[in-house]
Amino acid sequence: MTPIRGEITEIIGGTSSGRTSHLLTCLRDVVSRGETAALVDTEETFDPRSAARAGLDLRRLLWVRCRGHRDVALRAADMLVRCPGFALVALDLGERMPRLPPTLAFRLKFAVRRTDVALLIVGRRRLTGSSAALAIETLREKIEWVGPGPAATRLARVRTTTRVLRSRRAAPGWPPSLWWSA
Amino acid sequence: MSRFGCVLVEHWDAGAVERCEPALRERPLVILDARVDAPDVGREGAPTTNPAAKRRSPPTANIQMVVEANATAREQGVRPGMTETEARARCPMLVTRPRVDESVLSARHALLEAMLAVSPRIEDAGAGLVYVDTVGLERLIGDPASIGRRLVHQARAVGLTARVGLAVSRTAARVTAASASAAVTVIPPGRERAALARTQLAALDLAPDLAATFARWGVRTIGDLAALPREGLAMRLGPAGLRAHDLALGLDRDPFRPWTPPPFWEEAQGLDWEIDSLGVLAGVLETVLERLCRRLGAAALAADALEVRLGLASGGHHARDVSFAYPMGEVKPMLTLLVLELEAHPPCAPVTRVAVSAHPIRTQAGQGGLCQPPAPAPRDLVSVLARLAALVGADNLGSPTLVDSHRSDAFTMLAFSPPTESEPLDRRGRRAERAPRQAPAASGAPARPLAEPQPQSDARDQRLALRRLRPARRADVETAAERPARVNARPVVACAGPWRASGEWWDTHAWARDEWDVVLGDGALCRLARDRLTGHWYLDGVYD
Repeated sequence: MTPIRGEITEIIGGTSSGRTSHLLTCLRDVVSRGETAALVDTEETFDPRSAARAGLDLRRLLWVRCRGHRDVALRAADMLVRCPGFALVALDLGERMPRLPPTLAFRLKFAVRRTDVALLIVGRRRLTGSSAALAIETLREKIEWVGPGPAATRLARVRTTTRVLRSRRAAPGWPPSLWWSA
Repeated sequence: MSRFGCVLVEHWDAGAVERCEPALRERPLVILDARVDAPDVGREGAPTTNPAAKRRSPPTANIQMVVEANATAREQGVRPGMTETEARARCPMLVTRPRVDESVLSARHALLEAMLAVSPRIEDAGAGLVYVDTVGLERLIGDPASIGRRLVHQARAVGLTARVGLAVSRTAARVTAASASAAVTVIPPGRERAALARTQLAALDLAPDLAATFARWGVRTIGDLAALPREGLAMRLGPAGLRAHDLALGLDRDPFRPWTPPPFWEEAQGLDWEIDSLGVLAGVLETVLERLCRRLGAAALAADALEVRLGLASGGHHARDVSFAYPMGEVKPMLTLLVLELEAHPPCAPVTRVAVSAHPIRTQAGQGGLCQPPAPAPRDLVSVLARLAALVGADNLGSPTLVDSHRSDAFTMLAFSPPTESEPLDRRGRRAERAPRQAPAASGAPARPLAEPQPQSDARDQRLALRRLRPARRADVETAAERPARVNARPVVACAGPWRASGEWWDTHAWARDEWDVVLGDGALCRLARDRLTGHWYLDGVYD
């Protein structure tokens, strides 16, 4: 699961739909190849313990906390995508999405093309419109609980599905359905 | 056999100004200074030494005197010692600049450091004059003419136009450089006396009274002086006469004094106007940094720290230090870091003088591994990290590191510095697990990084992520049979728990809590926690 280099990828979904798990998996896959990634965290919701359990090498991750300032997050992402060498810049916009003028979306698009960085935007709805090469929606399908008795004592796993909303290229190679262990 | 090169920059003060303002090279330029005494009108050259004439001279408080003129101005008859009015009468298009000691000193150091890149043994012989020991350079560079061209090239790299003379003695090399018209002149060994014979005696820079004595004797050239009997000179003029005779023969009387560079290299610029805007100051800083980086580049060095000192109109100074995460020699990232530092700590008054010092170090060229993926270039990374720190604050930037604690949100932030080495591979070609790097905590109390290796994930083992709410939100929870039934008026569809955790009971920060995983009526899968010490419920995060 790797976003396209030099393009914008968007992952959207509602609460508990699996979009953050997809984000961590993308970061892990990039970092496991020895490359460097950055995460612009608008609402400071990144959980390092979850990321470490997912196998993410935190030493290769630059975490930028924006304390809820969406304009600051967009500017930080704009700076990072202009720095060649980062394989992936992830922008987690949280629950409240900002408005992004089409001109700024095109700026981001040309910036990532110039530096060959993959920009991954995670949020509740789509942000960059036609500038995104790939847009994926995540949906939660099922939750499994386990426990010795009739009352469950532990969250076991969650199944999510993905739906491709936009793909300017051929098959994006994104798994349609995944189980996520708790 | 010893062999020396003499690097001479003519019209030194003017050359130092042209180095700061290259556009003035083709224009008639004079350097003015009010500190020089007024000379006798109608006599060119040095100021008079006659006390009576000095008493007759008009007061010089407001008279600007020409202390140096470049070649273009000299072609039009302008000479040092003239008043500004006299010089303008001879050359109406004259450009004038005040003498700034910092610029002259910077140029002097720049010339010395540039020569140091050619030979490890150089001597500072005064303003615009450097002796270079060229012994052994033939094997590195080539014949003496090639060495001379290299020296000229090095001087040009720092913005100075020099002439070079090469001979077996420093005196012969200096006289050759001063009298020749070509950029590089080489005197073959044993031909010094013949080569210097036709040169005017003034090229030896003798003391004025001694030069006057020789003029009375009718000695005009160096050859005339060299032909005089040595015993007779000793009887009539004493040691000064013998010294002059040695110089005429091309012999060195003084020992070679090697010059060592200072620990900091400085470039400065005095301003004729006051700067109160950072944008304008950035332009001046860029000019100063360009000169500094040219000096560093000419010596194949980089800087790992900068100090900027601003002279203020209030009479005070404003100094800031910037340490680089990576040695660099490029203007752009240095300027970015300096401007960001000055944005964070602006001067309290308009700026009238700018000086930038660099700590030079020698860097080893490095090359990444063949199979190593590309990483951000250090200079780009330093620049973008500085910009991000200015945008979000330095505390909100870095790499997270887990600390050894049962508290679920325990982590610390370290400065972002991705490892450059590639991960070692085991026999099966998989990456070996390693303990996290030990490093101090970024802020707050010192924390111990988690010692146990982080779990290695598998493509088939996808982990559910938690979106943590910071700070945890207080929740109104209704319970039924000791299990959450409603959270903030939303019904609980399913739940699992409790999972008990506690820690630091030996300290004042003791904590104890029960954690629940709940699915609410709107579909949100949340982690709920009850503080067992206070009985309050909190929404810790949302699984996503």
